[in-house]
Amino acid sequence: MKKTNYWKILITGLLKENPVFVLILGTCPTLAMSNSVTSAVGMGLAATAVLICSNAVISLFRKFIPDAVRIPCYIVVIAGFVTLVEMFIHAYLPELYKSLGVYLALITVNCIILGRAEMFAGKNTVGKSVLDGIGMGIGFTLALLAMATVREVIGAGTFAGIEIPFMIDHKIEFFVKAPGGLMVYGLLIALVNVITKGRAIKKKEFNCAGCPSAGVCNGGCKANEVKEGE
Amino acid sequence: MDTFKTLAAILLTSVLVNNYVLRQFLGICPFLGVSKKLNQAVGMGVAVTFVMLLATAVTWPIQMFVLNNLGLEYMQTIVFILIIAALVQFVEIFLKKFIPSLHKSLGVYLPLITTNCAVLGVTINNIKDSYGFGESMISSLGCGLGFMLAMVLFSGVRSRIDESDIPEHFKGLPATLVAASFVSLAFYGFEGVVDNLFA
Amino acid sequence: MKYFKSVIALTVICALVAVLLALTNSITAPIIEENASAAANEALLVVYPDGGDFTQLDISTYELPATVTDAYSASNGGYVVKLLTSGYGANMVLMCGIDGNGTVTGATCLSSGETLGYEKTYGDSLKGKTVTDIDAVETISGATMTTAGYKNAVKDALNATIILGGGSVDIRSEEEILNDNLSEALPAAEGKFVSWFMVESLENVSAVYEAENGTGYVLVSDEEFIAIDKTGAVLSTVADDIKVTMEANAQLITNSSIEEIDISGYDMPSQVKKAYKTASGNYVFELAANGFGINGDQYYSPSGKPIELKASVTNDGKIIAVLTTAQYETDGIGSACADASFYTQFNGKVEADYSEIEGISGATITTNGYKTAVSKVFEAVKLLEGVA
Repeated sequence: MKKTNYWKILITGLLKENPVFVLILGTCPTLAMSNSVTSAVGMGLAATAVLICSNAVISLFRKFIPDAVRIPCYIVVIAGFVTLVEMFIHAYLPELYKSLGVYLALITVNCIILGRAEMFAGKNTVGKSVLDGIGMGIGFTLALLAMATVREVIGAGTFAGIEIPFMIDHKIEFFVKAPGGLMVYGLLIALVNVITKGRAIKKKEFNCAGCPSAGVCNGGCKANEVKEGE
Repeated sequence: MDTFKTLAAILLTSVLVNNYVLRQFLGICPFLGVSKKLNQAVGMGVAVTFVMLLATAVTWPIQMFVLNNLGLEYMQTIVFILIIAALVQFVEIFLKKFIPSLHKSLGVYLPLITTNCAVLGVTINNIKDSYGFGESMISSLGCGLGFMLAMVLFSGVRSRIDESDIPEHFKGLPATLVAASFVSLAFYGFEGVVDNLFA
Repeated sequence: MKYFKSVIALTVICALVAVLLALTNSITAPIIEENASAAANEALLVVYPDGGDFTQLDISTYELPATVTDAYSASNGGYVVKLLTSGYGANMVLMCGIDGNGTVTGATCLSSGETLGYEKTYGDSLKGKTVTDIDAVETISGATMTTAGYKNAVKDALNATIILGGGSVDIRSEEEILNDNLSEALPAAEGKFVSWFMVESLENVSAVYEAENGTGYVLVSDEEFIAIDKTGAVLSTVADDIKVTMEANAQLITNSSIEEIDISGYDMPSQVKKAYKTASGNYVFELAANGFGINGDQYYSPSGKPIELKASVTNDGKIIAVLTTAQYETDGIGSACADASFYTQFNGKVEADYSEIEGISGATITTNGYKTAVSKVFEAVKLLEGVA
């Protein structure tokens, strides 16, 4: 019984509650970093690392952190891990550091991470929170990878820098530019709608009530809460 | 004269060419969320511009005189986000107490701004581009105005979408994103304008 | 109590995070620095392919041109110099490689706000140049400010490497050199001099500078700077014969006084606006010259104003000195009439050899108008002396 429960937590983030295509979270890095496969995977893994660490630490300290200052505490923990990851990438993967640019630091304000801290890690045990972090992080990475694949193959004719025959001679640069990002994102969400016959996307509209960071700020947003054993 | 030229170029570039929302994808959440009606778009735009200016006015001196002097550059992200969160709180309390009418119209947008990546983005970018204090303030003003411009333009587009007959699976967010794509495409027309103006 | 708990919790978390970051920073910072210096080394190789094993020099111990921001020495005796200079409205960061013989091995622009793109390619035309022939490299017309700034910065880099190699270079500007020479001759003036317009015919003197605080004058004679005090005594140590000449000059300068004379009774040329007579009988005229675009008696310089100048002449018709006092000509073309190299040509001329004076090519109309105006002083002197 317990085992299935853990499995469910992990798989939820991958498919049923995919942060990018279903929960519509972390739109900024999704759009900005999906113009090349390399930076998309880099961004996805960096965010995953931050997500796992912050989820673990926040759930570990959840009894110690007073309710009134939980948001600033979460922000400090997240920003701390972001800086940590930033330092390691700067030191060991300087090329990736260059291509991620300011978006690396902006993982701090990625809705996914603060959202999971508020909705999940602040209420669940360390083990479950880590699993949730892994699931959500990989879900985020895969979604980014999917978008980046579409954009890079059509827009630049390459995949992770490797030239693809035929595509390289027929690239449509629109797709690697900013408008192409918005377009592909819209089309992919529509595709998910088609596949799931409209059941997956809970939010027909994107509004404040649907954004976990808004929930964080207003203390509202109970609709999206993922409770244990749900 | 040269200073004026540089500042004007920074302002126009950040409003039109490097528009934070449509070119750099910073602040997409409020762009998609709060751009349904014109008055909402303007309210959010004003609030973001104000907080950007305030945040830059505080973070720039702190980076230059405190963090750099103490060799604590790596604390930048934490310090900046805490400052922004505290400023937003402070402004909200201040408005609530002293200008309730303004709080009523802007107050609802303020809490959303803490986690708006455009605000953190502009403060970090100003340091990265090694702008002076004046240049930083102008660039923040430009980014805020650019944000507002994108929001206002897009609110007009959205009211049209709501009235249109769109395929079932495109309803809602997908249609909004595709429309945003075209607005972003339109902003490409500004490329080169600023360069030619100041050449 | 609850309030305190919140504050304590937040403080503890902040402190923990800060400690963790400080620890990580101590691990990653050296690696990041190493990466950065490796990347910088690669950039240095671009402008100095034969160099290697670069070490950054502490440039604060040298007196280098102001444009130099960084300097690196290569193991084979050459240098790479990083420069910051201004182009058209924006700063350019340049990198310049110079080998052990003082030859430019390459120059590149790292960042700039320039609009035309010449800053990216101009460095190639400076390759192989040395401090003696770099001035001859042509700037690109239409991008003069960018390319001239580029060239001057690379010249600064060449000078800097000479200084770094233990040599010495005069990096002072022309005005600074002049001022230093004047101050050396007359320290009492405290470095503040104004040019004194020569209204007296002085023997062997090309220019006179007056101390602003009235402590005396400095006479320039054959590249020598000779100071006199306000009573006319020669302060500098010079040979006896020169001393006699200079004392005579000094008397003329210190006793000099001028008085305006009424010219309304004379049929003066239209260019002559005012006339003065000095104690020793010389004349000084204020003149107005036609600028670019002459039409009859009208002055059509770009601003619609004439060029203003003054000229001093001996009573037997020999020009002592000419000086442009105001001009509104086209910048970079007719404005050359304000350059000393142009108006000092008139010094010592008499009516007979006046035509030898050269105009400025490309500014013929301006310089012809100028020459015509100055030539009128001969007529004016004859009128005033009553010999016409």
